[in-house]
Amino acid sequence: MEQQHSADTGPDLALESEIAALIVSALNLDITPADIAPEAPLYGDELGIDSIDILEIALVMSKQYGVQMKADNEDNSTIFASLRKLAAYIREHRSK
Amino acid sequence: MNLIPLLPDTDPTAAFAYVNEQEIDRATFRAQVLTLAAALPARERVLNMCADRYWFAVTLFAAIARKMVTVLPNSAAPEHIAAVAAEQPGLLVLGDQAECPVADLPYMQINTLPPRMELAQAELPLIPFDQRVACLYTSGSTGTPMPHFKTFGRLRLAILAGAERVWGAAGQACSVVGTVPIRHMYGLESSVLLPIMAGGRMSGRIPFFPADIASALERMPAPRLLVITPFHLRKLLDADIRLPEIAVILSATAPLSAELAAQTRQQLGCPVLEIYGSTETGQVATRETDVETTWQTLQGIALEMRDDELWAVGEVYETPQMLNDTVELFSPQRFRLVDRKANMINVAGKRSSLSFLNNTLTSLPGVVDGMFCVPERGSGEEVERLAVFVVAPTLDRAAILAGLRQHLDSVFLPRHVVFVDSLPRDGNGKILARTVQALIASHLSGRD
Repeated sequence: MEQQHSADTGPDLALESEIAALIVSALNLDITPADIAPEAPLYGDELGIDSIDILEIALVMSKQYGVQMKADNEDNSTIFASLRKLAAYIREHRSK
Repeated sequence: MNLIPLLPDTDPTAAFAYVNEQEIDRATFRAQVLTLAAALPARERVLNMCADRYWFAVTLFAAIARKMVTVLPNSAAPEHIAAVAAEQPGLLVLGDQAECPVADLPYMQINTLPPRMELAQAELPLIPFDQRVACLYTSGSTGTPMPHFKTFGRLRLAILAGAERVWGAAGQACSVVGTVPIRHMYGLESSVLLPIMAGGRMSGRIPFFPADIASALERMPAPRLLVITPFHLRKLLDADIRLPEIAVILSATAPLSAELAAQTRQQLGCPVLEIYGSTETGQVATRETDVETTWQTLQGIALEMRDDELWAVGEVYETPQMLNDTVELFSPQRFRLVDRKANMINVAGKRSSLSFLNNTLTSLPGVVDGMFCVPERGSGEEVERLAVFVVAPTLDRAAILAGLRQHLDSVFLPRHVVFVDSLPRDGNGKILARTVQALIASHLSGRD
């Protein structure tokens, strides 16, 4: 049975900061994990993350959490809209 | 005048495209193209912004049938589209989205039109060999988008020559899945025109993540061709995901290493055919990178040295095309690539020039001086990422990135933005290479 996790529980702050750290290290970013605002767009001006980076992040997510990202024709901005959205997606789909 | 039917004479019942889990046969595609052709308002040129490859193909061929030039910008950056629209007035945007993807231009949504199946039997329009059908753009070394027109007959010759090579490697015509942009020459030739003009099958999807690539391939019958870039291929192998059998992989836009080609053959059990070409020339030559160092030109294309410059000649070109790379020519059909042109940089398969990037940076309001550079890669980084040194007392990193994003494809955005008080220029206004090295050493080294 699918549950609406994100609606009835709050954001997983520990997972968010873990993912933020993975992103900073995978992309060798100029900032600290805490600089990534949970609700700010990942993809776009703030961090300067582009589609190459998104693929890098996807690879790290699959290695770390066993989640294969799927976007198909959807814009990647759905999953990567923000750190919070990404963490929620990982929490729902992780296998490790 | 040499006239060619709009579409090849193929079995109308043969499967052609896979769109939203639906199989579409050749007759339906043909009817769809002719239905749209009949519905398009009269225009000289259209901007094809379809996101799905199938609808892109329908729109392209409908425009050809109506003698309209399809304009294909090489980036979706608003500034780029605006520059293109200024140069090509009267553009009608055609797309498969509910909303117009480009501001301030008239729009028609094309994928809501049901195919009039009686048109599957209608006569196909005959297209003059010399009819200009597409206008592709490169950002060029000057920063002004440069148009390159393609004619129907010549595109077709190049596709048939390429098919001989690609289908030859696969044993027969393939189902084609491409991860590459359909508005670039490589994606247009290999993932759109190849299956249409040379009897293949086409996936409407442009998959991105490894799992998407796997499911797009699974949806198509074997033999399968995957059209991809070296960067994306590396990520696909790294993901170590289960893939259906692939007959052959095409790679272009950036140099493919022999090691990656060999690893692909070992891991996926298929050869990687690397394509040498450019927007101006289209596909010129191929090689199997892990087993041969020399390139062989496609049927009908020859290379010639004239006054120390290298030219590609053949019926596929309206005029001979100068190539910007240094090669060692063994015969008009076989060569070894020695060096790529200086000043051009390549990030994950997209090309730009340092002079264009620098010009863009220093033109931003608030930027007093600035330069792009290519730092040494850190360990584990396979892709060149750029950095900028900038003199801009009133701006911060976010403002610089936001400014650049208006003009540049996002892969060229700098990973590192280093603010400096001034850039040490010599008497000619140039920054010496050793100065650049010193700046990199003091600001960017040891970050790994």
